[in-house]
Amino acid sequence: MSDRFAARSQVAIVGYAHSPVRRHHDVPLGALALDTALAAIADAGLTKDDIDGFTTGSLLPTSGGHASVDGVSVVTANWLAEHLGLNPRFCAGFQGFGQIPGSVTMAVNALATGAADYVVLHRALHNPPRGRYHANPMTHAAGPRQWVAPQGYFGPLSMIALPYNEYLQRFGASRDAMAAVLVEARANGARIPWSYWYEKPITTQEYLDARVIAEPIGVLDCDIPVDGVAAFVLTRSDRARDLPHQPVYVAGYAMGSPKRTRLPTHWPLDDIMEAGFEIRRRLEDATGLTPDVVDVPQLYDGFSPFVYFWLESLGLCPVGEAHRFVQEGIDAAAGGLPILSGGGALGNGRMHGVPQMLECYLQLSQRAGDRQLTSATVGLACHSSPHFGGAVMYTAEPL
Amino acid sequence: MTPDTAPAHKPVPVPDPTSEAYWAAAAEHRLALARCGRCGRFTHPPDVVCPHCLSTDPGFTFEPVDGRGTVRSWTVLRDSFLPGFADDIPFVLVDVELDVQVDLRLIGRLVDGPDAPLRLGDRVVTVFDARDDGPPVPAFALDPTAEGER
Ligand SMILES: [Zn+2]
Repeated sequence: MSDRFAARSQVAIVGYAHSPVRRHHDVPLGALALDTALAAIADAGLTKDDIDGFTTGSLLPTSGGHASVDGVSVVTANWLAEHLGLNPRFCAGFQGFGQIPGSVTMAVNALATGAADYVVLHRALHNPPRGRYHANPMTHAAGPRQWVAPQGYFGPLSMIALPYNEYLQRFGASRDAMAAVLVEARANGARIPWSYWYEKPITTQEYLDARVIAEPIGVLDCDIPVDGVAAFVLTRSDRARDLPHQPVYVAGYAMGSPKRTRLPTHWPLDDIMEAGFEIRRRLEDATGLTPDVVDVPQLYDGFSPFVYFWLESLGLCPVGEAHRFVQEGIDAAAGGLPILSGGGALGNGRMHGVPQMLECYLQLSQRAGDRQLTSATVGLACHSSPHFGGAVMYTAEPL
Repeated sequence: MTPDTAPAHKPVPVPDPTSEAYWAAAAEHRLALARCGRCGRFTHPPDVVCPHCLSTDPGFTFEPVDGRGTVRSWTVLRDSFLPGFADDIPFVLVDVELDVQVDLRLIGRLVDGPDAPLRLGDRVVTVFDARDDGPPVPAFALDPTAEGER
């Protein structure tokens, strides 16, 4: 069809690297990013002089009053290129949330238009060394904060607690149902050597016993802040076929945005879901692929309720049913729908949308080792909340 | 009392030209919200443009509104990332849709506390949380006279 995404299947992922995920690395984040980028370039069968494009989304962490320093707490595309000693033709950062799908859109567009031939897409995550990740000794609330902080409404846990409770109340769900999500994410993360949670699965009871912070959000509903870097190499599909690994093709992407202007931390459930439905429509328009053909759906889980929101808005289960669906249908090792086969953020640490993109790549290129799924033909990698993030569809064969 | 043991303060709002009328009304225990001078609709908080008619010159004025509304969600805070609220734990925050206009929302503390039975659709009224070092802060209380839209 003529109105499909013009760059459909024209760009492919051809290599990757992932640093160990730790609470705190003893090397600067920039050094970790450089080593990881070089490893990804080598994995793709290239040398750094082949690379003429760089992209990332470097937003976050910005919380807790820590100043952001390039190369230390964030690593921008420009910093990475410069410190690799390169002067690339294309170098740009994605500015918003949904950093991973956002960066993929930039890499795909640059490659499909010929603005670059080989792009390194990286993501560097930093866990500030002192203090709590989101704690804030605020005594005065100016600007947007004045509307909520004086009430004690502050930070992402309250932000996600409201739509999550709205979901639980609307559909008569129990927060205990989420144990299935955590058990699955951690079971898979426990099998990934670079994961923070390597060899550390959890039980349903451990989830139920964990501390609740902002009801119904408990400590285990949140991914753990970490230092870690991942890098991918992308190129045009015609070039990809000459490289050592089986290419994984980008079928299309879709980003979401809130329909209404609200306070940045006010996320009513319907805002989230409407954006998710829109992403589903846009993905289908771009790729011609429907949710039922996706065999590697990697749902974003930085806060556990996102799994429900993505499952339902993308049409992988009926609205209001996700809390039941996860009880029966998501055990990858038992042949369930492998929505967290890559461990997600809950099973790897706060790598944002990296685990989702990486699992699509590893499964569709047949590089997932002992986690390799029997059927891995169409992948879907989500990131962030639907109304600030997005999703990318991948295929093992060009469309 | 040494500085180390002094209780942390709750954040004090810093009024600015977009909000001073809101906080001035709150000081008199009145809820006043920004109304667009072009289309007449309310928005909270006021943005650069009116989100309804997209006027870039919305000429917002703060007008008193009826503080009654409906609970759309809530959370019980059992920890707080703001040290000034440590002594208030646990406390309830409610996401309220005000009657005055569809989807006009306000987030505030529910003064009835975490033991009050609460369901989606419960009716609330606006009340004001007194503070030692700043204007009273709009909050909510369950409306005992109202039937929820359950
Ligand atoms: Zn207007």
